[in-house]
Amino acid sequence: MNKIDKISNDELSVVTEEPASRRSFFKKTAAYSMSAFAAASVLAPVKVKAGDDPAIMEEQPWATAWGTPVTDNLYGLPSPYESNVTRRTTELLSSGNMRASIAVTPIQDITGIIVPNGLFFNRNHGGTPEIDPNKHRLMIHGLLEKSLVLTMDELKKYPNVTRIHFIECPANGGPEWRNPQFPSIQFAKGFMSCAEWTGVYLKDILKDLGLKPEARWMLAEGGDSSHMGRTVPIDKVLDDAMVVWGQNGEALRPEQGYPIRLLLPGWEGNLMVKWLARLEFASEPFYCKEETAKYTALTNKDGKAIQHFYANEVNSVISSPCPEKPWTDLKKGDTVEIEGIAWSGMGTIDGVDISFDGGKNWVEASLKGLVLPQAWTRFSYIYKYEGKPLFLSSRARDDAGYVQPSIKQERDAIGIEGVYHRNGIHTWEVTEKGEVHNVQILS
Amino acid sequence: MFKSYRKLLSTVAIVALASVSVASAGNASRTYENGKKVIDGGMTYPTKNGMTSVYKVNTQKNYKDVKFGRPATPNEIKAWDIDVMPDGTGLPEGKGSVEEGDEIYEAKCASCHFDFGSGGAGYPALQQGNAYEAKETLKLQRLNPEDDGPQRNFGSYWPQASTAWWYIKTGMPHPAPLSLTDDETYALMAYMLAINEITIDGEELEDEYVLDREKFLKIVMPNKDGFVPVIDGKDGLENVRKFYDDAKNFGGIKKRCMKNCFDGEPKVARIQGVGISDFNPPLSAKKEKPAKKESTGGNKAKEAYDASCAVCHATDAMGAPAVGDKKAWEATLKKGLDVVKKNAIVGINGMPPKGGANLTDDEMNAIVDYMIEASK
Repeated sequence: MNKIDKISNDELSVVTEEPASRRSFFKKTAAYSMSAFAAASVLAPVKVKAGDDPAIMEEQPWATAWGTPVTDNLYGLPSPYESNVTRRTTELLSSGNMRASIAVTPIQDITGIIVPNGLFFNRNHGGTPEIDPNKHRLMIHGLLEKSLVLTMDELKKYPNVTRIHFIECPANGGPEWRNPQFPSIQFAKGFMSCAEWTGVYLKDILKDLGLKPEARWMLAEGGDSSHMGRTVPIDKVLDDAMVVWGQNGEALRPEQGYPIRLLLPGWEGNLMVKWLARLEFASEPFYCKEETAKYTALTNKDGKAIQHFYANEVNSVISSPCPEKPWTDLKKGDTVEIEGIAWSGMGTIDGVDISFDGGKNWVEASLKGLVLPQAWTRFSYIYKYEGKPLFLSSRARDDAGYVQPSIKQERDAIGIEGVYHRNGIHTWEVTEKGEVHNVQILS
Repeated sequence: MFKSYRKLLSTVAIVALASVSVASAGNASRTYENGKKVIDGGMTYPTKNGMTSVYKVNTQKNYKDVKFGRPATPNEIKAWDIDVMPDGTGLPEGKGSVEEGDEIYEAKCASCHFDFGSGGAGYPALQQGNAYEAKETLKLQRLNPEDDGPQRNFGSYWPQASTAWWYIKTGMPHPAPLSLTDDETYALMAYMLAINEITIDGEELEDEYVLDREKFLKIVMPNKDGFVPVIDGKDGLENVRKFYDDAKNFGGIKKRCMKNCFDGEPKVARIQGVGISDFNPPLSAKKEKPAKKESTGGNKAKEAYDASCAVCHATDAMGAPAVGDKKAWEATLKKGLDVVKKNAIVGINGMPPKGGANLTDDEMNAIVDYMIEASK
């Protein structure tokens, strides 16, 4: 596009000296309105020397020509240079069909505690429907004095609350019960995301409906082709269950349940039914498909499985370094930040410890930024890198008093066939070269 | 000695301060306002002094007066109330035999779940032999690579048959849910029970066995009592609260070890080979503009085929004529192009109308033309 790209640095200084060229005229004109630094290279050309950074010495096309008008991209998009930051899929995690599958979040590339809506992990059971909000209804019925039908406009008239919560698939880390499998943080821990949600507390809608005392369970059912249902105990319904329509300041994305989904802070993502259409109250549990075939955890106790396993337990992972963000560019003696994410579905993160020897000895890291219930919490530890091999682990604890178990403790307690709710301490092996490998410490 | 003792004291003080500040900001509690333990074993953040945790809350008294919407009509509830509960609530009258179920299964289910529900290609098995024997495998743990694992399928694992009736009726066949009649659903249930060798009232389900509502409600699944906590009955919720109040039940740990937490060097398990890394798109740390997408030459039929049809037609694994298989398409076309196109629109064998995709008749015709062209 811009010829300057194609000519060498030496030629560049020659070209800029040609006073009669139309090019130079435009450049000089532009230079007057730009900063003194840019003007210096144009008006008083310098010979490029070894050690000079071409990114500084060369004029870049974006610095010398118009950008796009505000009429472009009326719904904005990320820079095309960020095209490597996407959700990703793998055949292994698909039930034979990408319409009953998962696309996972690149947590190696996420900053802070809010995952952008386009990168929020997506698990569905019958594809992502395109629901017309004008034809979508929320029906509430069952053991109530009166039933209720709400249009989306009516639902949004209820006073709303905004909360930051993570949503985690309870199978996050689940493929690694028996062995480490994924050379990647995105697949080892990316079955989760965190966002700011806006909606209404269910208890505020129910106040007027006369919930009967024998109503112990609530069925939540989606309006998509899978009609996925889950049973929620009344305790959670009357505590902090929400019906949400807002996600990070805009409408829910179709992948997240547009126009509405159930939000149960801290609980299994699967319980937070997307494309929510129906809530039914009953005295007995419903035994939905996703609380028998799946989302139950087989234990090592005489073939018994845990059902109605609600909260995702306290967990953490170091996101820098990680296999996708290694330390191969560090020099011995560099001081660097070890950073990560901690979360607990059972409460608020109280603290995080870091180990350099695979969990034998621990030091306390700092928490940073907002520390909120059932939300991603960032932790940080400043470390002097010496180029020695490390087993780098993190271990979070929450205000309910729980500490992340070692893999051995977790296996001894529950076995290795549970599929779900794996929160054993995660370890990265950092090699002498600074490469980062996914390992498990079984001590 | 004295110095380190002082240091310890000050550390304790800081910890105490920190926990006080968390508690006062959050009003965190182990119990609900009704005095019952939090059901998941964690914390709740009741609103006190206008705040829940660190969030401010509108506490105006007339908040509760906000109400919108209208009651549902009885007909509307009937239209949407599609769940089926273990006690038979929501289960309609109807009947179907094992033999009829077998025929429906071959036509509508085998393309994904394979012969006799053996599963494969990522689709779940519906049986792995006699369910009562398979249930015993739930005690197995694959501690070594060569160990046999637990067999979790409908027959060996599911506690309630109602779950399967409900799911088949409202979620299956996967591309065309809600398309089966009640009788077809009973027939498929009979077939599922038969291939799992599950008995009803001690009776084996032979080909001519006819399953109806009354018999269905007598089914006792082999693994009915295989789940904890027990959620049924009036103590269900209290059982759950007690279960999660005891960390031992779900592997919760409360001890925070800081020094010498295990003996010797760490025992390390590494990824075998390259592990699982067939990611789409492949991992990349490069910040560069994407290469221009391979153009389909504006071939909308190919795009639609890729999006909606390739899942079954890319190979012959589902019994569908595979695109690129000249012989299979020659055989299919013996019916005549008009018939093939009509079948694609109305459905044939395991294929639901339009393959379950949201496409117009014209789009379907174009896709069939593309598939034939690509198979010459």
